[in-house]
Amino acid sequence: MKPRLAACFASVLGVLLAVVPLLAHHGTGVAYEVDKEVTLKGTVTEWIWANPHCAILFDVTDDKGNVVHWGAELGNPHSLSEAGLSKDVLKPGDKLTVVGHPSKSGAPRVSLEHFVLADGRELPEKGVKGNGVKLNDEPSQ
Amino acid sequence: MRNRLVASVGVLLVVGACSSPLLAQTYGTKGYSPGAWKPEELPKDLAKTKPFDPHDLSAVWSMPTKPGYFERHSLNDKWLEIKDKSVPDQMKSDTYPPPMTPWGKAKFEATKPSYGPRSVPPGEGNDEVSTCEPMGYPRDLWEANLRPFEFIQISGRVLQHMQFHDLWRTIWTDGRQLPKNPDPAWNGYAIGHWDGDTFVVESNGYDDRTWLDHFGSPHSDQMYLVERYKRVDADHLELQMTLTDPKTYTAPWVGDKITFDRAKVAIFEEICAPSEESNFNDKIRDPAVGKAQP
Repeated sequence: MKPRLAACFASVLGVLLAVVPLLAHHGTGVAYEVDKEVTLKGTVTEWIWANPHCAILFDVTDDKGNVVHWGAELGNPHSLSEAGLSKDVLKPGDKLTVVGHPSKSGAPRVSLEHFVLADGRELPEKGVKGNGVKLNDEPSQ
Repeated sequence: MRNRLVASVGVLLVVGACSSPLLAQTYGTKGYSPGAWKPEELPKDLAKTKPFDPHDLSAVWSMPTKPGYFERHSLNDKWLEIKDKSVPDQMKSDTYPPPMTPWGKAKFEATKPSYGPRSVPPGEGNDEVSTCEPMGYPRDLWEANLRPFEFIQISGRVLQHMQFHDLWRTIWTDGRQLPKNPDPAWNGYAIGHWDGDTFVVESNGYDDRTWLDHFGSPHSDQMYLVERYKRVDADHLELQMTLTDPKTYTAPWVGDKITFDRAKVAIFEEICAPSEESNFNDKIRDPAVGKAQP
């Protein structure tokens, strides 16, 4: 039931065609709809800064007061730290807008494209892949 | 176990023997606490220009990223067939993989990778990387298209340090022979010698639980690798690898020549922590495929 609700909620918020710069990590292309995006406004419940994957857990409340527990998948701390993220960049209670690629199963999980903090900062910063390599240095897919 | 012990002793000896800060430092990035080291800062001994010596492999090396790098087979640098995407003719290879034996085919079919034409979501697959099990060699090397590795040469050994999962491989150059009947080791047993300007590495004794690549290509404990490294100039390192495994493949798997660039960056810590990945699987991967309640 929850996955259906989540999928419905996501579609209300808008499913957009997107250019996918990189299928960043393990299984992204098969677990998520990488050619679609959803935009979700929510409140952080947990920020997981871990190896080899970071994650944001956040709650999204719809107009009727229903709360859905969403999660966003991110890459490793090493590359994210070069893109402006850190262990302290998020904390429970922070408001944010998450843009990500929705799961194919319809479950409330996304592969993160970026998020926007309440102060307007957009992270991860564009153009950074890790190991000092800029995305601009790479040929496009 | 024995291999891990060898690797550990090797690391300790290097730390003790080298005055270089190379192994003593962990390079932080701007996201870390104020005052952390800059990510792009190389250890001084690697950053400074040295006269080119073809017998000196010491450097950080990285495979240039190319379009579709996740769907390429690194051994041959060719694309596999990809769902919903046609593979250009020039990217197809006639040389790989060689036909599998029935044993190899059964092992291959039991794998559930998350890349390539047979890919499934990680939450439904059995790639050991999803649980931080050892990836072994040579798979870890192929991840160098995203993460660099470094060679460190010391007396009697060459150490190969892969950033991904912090894998240390010891290549013995003290004249010893490969073990005749080795106990399986995640990263095998390796010896090296110089053939002119080519550093030749032979290895065996690999644990057959690992995959050759993230496409689930199998190997057995009979796998024997020959790697031929040649530093052609200060900034480029060529590798040709030949894999012989009669239990799995009916013919040797001959890799194409692959060129690594000298990376202008330091090796980072990129650990795969089992407890942290387990937490990630519980909260993200498994719910993403409907295996667990979000």
